[in-house]
Amino acid sequence: MIQEARARDTVGIFADMPDAAAATAPSGESAEAVLAFLTEMSPDLRGAAVLGPGGEVLAATGEEPERWGEDAAALLAAADAAEERPVEQVHIATEQGEVFAIRGGGLAAVGVTERFALASLMLFDMRSMLRELAKGAA
Amino acid sequence: MQKPHRILLDRVSAYADEAAAYMRRRRVARRPFARLYYAGGRSADHAQDSTAGAELFVAAGRLIEVAGPKRARG
Repeated sequence: MIQEARARDTVGIFADMPDAAAATAPSGESAEAVLAFLTEMSPDLRGAAVLGPGGEVLAATGEEPERWGEDAAALLAAADAAEERPVEQVHIATEQGEVFAIRGGGLAAVGVTERFALASLMLFDMRSMLRELAKGAA
Repeated sequence: MQKPHRILLDRVSAYADEAAAYMRRRRVARRPFARLYYAGGRSADHAQDSTAGAELFVAAGRLIEVAGPKRARG
């Protein structure tokens, strides 16, 4: 409850902070490195992917990077269509797990966690990861 | 009269029981939701039976499938 309230309230702070847009897409190696770091420090994370400015998969866990790209694009398209405006963050909690998606610095990241993962921490870590990547690419 | 360390242990156990009960209630009571956050801090919830909500849950389900089960940590 507290985490959800914090996620809801802090998103405005993050939205007002200038995000350095990635001038060029970060390299696959740097995306792999930050994704590995995120995976390492998030015990609830089942899998995640980092998408470039054009929606291409820069890095993904598991064996199916193409599917990550397709399914993440479908999620973001459905989220944008909900109110016909681009979303900044998505949090969907189901019985099978939780899905997070975030946009920042011209990049996007999606992650799937166990149920009851701490949403505020997960979104904070994913945003930090994108910021780090965008900073490296600029 | 109880020994001081007994009182401390009982107090810690009581807090642990409270926390466990809270987590149990949370697991039972929490329903699936789809929450979208927009620039400026606005957020919107979409019910699973709405058109937008249904699409979001379908897309989320595919991602959960591609992520697979929980990783084994070594």
